[in-house]
Amino acid sequence: MRLNNKTIRNYLSYSSVIFLLTIPVFYFVVRKVLLHSVDSSLKAQFHEIRENLDEIHTRDELEAWAKMDKDISLTPTNTPKQDRIYSTTRYSPKHREEEPFREIAGNITVGGQLYQLVISSSLVENEDLLLSILQVQISVLLVLIGGMLWINQKISRRLWQPFYIALKNMQTFELNKQSDLAFKPSTTDEFNELNKAINNLFSRSTQLYQHQKEFTENASHEMQTPLAIFQSKLELLMQTSPISEEQAGIINALDETNRRLIKLNKSLLLLTRIENNQYQTTEILSIAQLCQRQIRQFQPYADNRNLTVHTRFNAEITVNANPILIEILIANLLTNAIRYNRDNGEIAVTTDNNTLTIENTGAFAALDPDRIFDRFHKQNGQEDSTGLGLAIVKNICTLYNYAVNYNFNNGWHFFTISFRITPESSSTFTANYHHQ
Amino acid sequence: MKILIVEDEQRLMESMVTYLKSENFIVEEAPDYKTARQKIEMFTYDCILLDVSLPDGDGLSLLQELKANKKTEGVIVISARNSIGDRIQGLNLGADDYLTKPFHLSELNARILAVIRRRHFQGQQVLVFNELTIDLIAKTVYVNEKAVELTRKEYDLLLYLAYNKNRVISKNAIAEHLSGDDAEIFTNYDFIYSHMKNLKKKLQQAGCKEYIRSVYGMGYKFDI
Repeated sequence: MRLNNKTIRNYLSYSSVIFLLTIPVFYFVVRKVLLHSVDSSLKAQFHEIRENLDEIHTRDELEAWAKMDKDISLTPTNTPKQDRIYSTTRYSPKHREEEPFREIAGNITVGGQLYQLVISSSLVENEDLLLSILQVQISVLLVLIGGMLWINQKISRRLWQPFYIALKNMQTFELNKQSDLAFKPSTTDEFNELNKAINNLFSRSTQLYQHQKEFTENASHEMQTPLAIFQSKLELLMQTSPISEEQAGIINALDETNRRLIKLNKSLLLLTRIENNQYQTTEILSIAQLCQRQIRQFQPYADNRNLTVHTRFNAEITVNANPILIEILIANLLTNAIRYNRDNGEIAVTTDNNTLTIENTGAFAALDPDRIFDRFHKQNGQEDSTGLGLAIVKNICTLYNYAVNYNFNNGWHFFTISFRITPESSSTFTANYHHQ
Repeated sequence: MKILIVEDEQRLMESMVTYLKSENFIVEEAPDYKTARQKIEMFTYDCILLDVSLPDGDGLSLLQELKANKKTEGVIVISARNSIGDRIQGLNLGADDYLTKPFHLSELNARILAVIRRRHFQGQQVLVFNELTIDLIAKTVYVNEKAVELTRKEYDLLLYLAYNKNRVISKNAIAEHLSGDDAEIFTNYDFIYSHMKNLKKKLQQAGCKEYIRSVYGMGYKFDI
C-alpha cells in the first residue's frame, strides 16, 4: 500500500468514527434542547393562565375560552393533582397518523370548581426541524470529509513527488552505467536531505566502483610489460646452445604457462574495457554476415577436427553496436563450439526472429547454466581455458541489453542470444542466405 | 641495416637488442624521448621501433615529427595498449606496422625485415637458400627453379621460418603468427603440425633438403 493511501486510510477511519458518533449525540442533544424550549413555553403559558384566572368569573366564560383554543382542554375533576409535563401521541385526523405532543397538566379552580387543565403543543414541527438540522449536519460532514480526502490526495501527491522521484532514481541506478540522475529540488527540508544523502551514496559508490575498475585495468595493463620481458627472455633462452631435451621441455612448459598468463591478462583487460564502456562507437551490423565471416575464418579449425557447420539464417538481424564487441561475442561462442566439440561433431548457427543460436554437439555433459557465465568458472577438462570467454559474452550482452541463455538437450549445447527488438530487425529475410 | 629501438623498459630493450644484433643488424638504443629525438635528428635508420609510452613523452608525437620532417625511416609502433583506436592512430600517423606487447622477438624480426623490404625497392626481393628461392613479390617458392605450389598459410610459415633462419621459433610464436588475431582465442598446435607437415612434404617432394627441423617439441628451426 502506498504511503499516501496509508495516511488517507487513517484519516478516513478516524473521520468515519467521529462522524458515526456525532449523529446520535447530535440528535439527542438537539432533541433535548428543543423539548426544553417547548417545556418552558408550556410552563409559561400555564403560569400565565393561572395569573389571569381572576378575570374569568363564570363557568360559561371559562368553557368559551377553552373552546377557543384547540390546544387547551378543560375537564372538571374532584381529585387535585400535581402539575406534570409529559409526552404523548394523539391521532390526527388531518394527517391520519399518530402525532407526538408535549402536554402540561395541572389543576385550576374557577368559581369554586376544580378543573384539570391540559395544554398541549404539537412536536411535529420540532421533529421536522430536528430532521432538517440532522440532514444539513450530515451533508456538511460528508462534504467536509470528502473535501479533506480530495485535498489530501492532491497535496500529498505534490508533496511526496520529490520522494517518488528519489525512489525512481534509486531503482534505476546502476553502478556500471554512467547516468545523470535528476533530483527534484524541494521546499521540504527532509526531502532535500534525503536527495543529498542519496546523491552522496551514489557518487561514493560510483567512485569506489570506478576505482575498482581502474585498478583492474591498470593492473592488467602493468602486467603486459613484465609478461613481454618474460616472453622475450624465454625466446632468447631457446636460442642458447647447447640445449638438452630436458631443458627444452622446461622452457616449453614455461612458454606455455606464459602464453596462458598473457591470454588471461588480455581477457581481463577486455572485460574491464567493456565494463569501462571503452567501446563506444557503434554501427549497424548484420548478424548473419558477421556469423558467415567468422565461420569462414574458423573453418580451418573446424576442418581440423572434422566438424560440420550448418547455417540456417531464417531471419535478418541487424543491431546497432560496436563491431569489435559483436565480433568478439560471436567469435567466443563459435570458438567454444569448436573447442568443446567432439571430433566429427556438428555445429549449427541459426538466426530466427531476433535470436541467434549457436549449438554444438559436445564433449561435455550439460553445463551448469547458473554458473557458466561467471568469471573463472571452469568445467573439468578445460585446463586450457581462461574461464573468461563466456563472462565476456555475458558482459557484452549486458552492455547492449541482450539476453543470453544456455540450454542442453539430447547431447547438444545451445547458446541463444536474444537481441533487443529494433525497427530494422523486423524485416523478413529473403535473399542471399540459404541453408548450407 | 641500422635500427633504432626507442623503449624505456631496460630488460625488454636488452632482449630486442640481443635478438636483432645476431641478425646482423646495427642496433642503437634510446631509452627516452629526448635521446630518441637527438638520434633521429643526427642519424638515418632503416627502421625505428617506437614504444608509444615513454617516461618523458608520447612516442606518437615523435612519429609525427618524423613524418613532418619527411624522414624515410620505416617505423614500427610498439604499444602495451591493444586498442584499435591506438592502432589506427599509429598507422594513420604513418607508422608502417604496429605491434602489441607482449610480442615474440621472432615476430618483431619478421616485421622489421618486411618493413625494410617494402621501404627499399632496390632491396632484396628474393631470399635464396641454396636450391630454395622465395620470391617476396610474387609470393612464390621455387626449388631448383621449379615452382612449388604452397597454400597461403604454408607460404607464410616458410617465410616466417626463413626470416628467422637459424633461430628456434617457439610453437606459440608460430601459432600466433599463423592465426593472427585469432591466436588470442585459439591456440591449436594440431593446426601448426598439419601445416608444418604439409610444407615439409611439399618441399621434400620438390627436391629440397630438410632445412626445417623440430627442436625437442619446443619449436622449429630453419637451419641453413
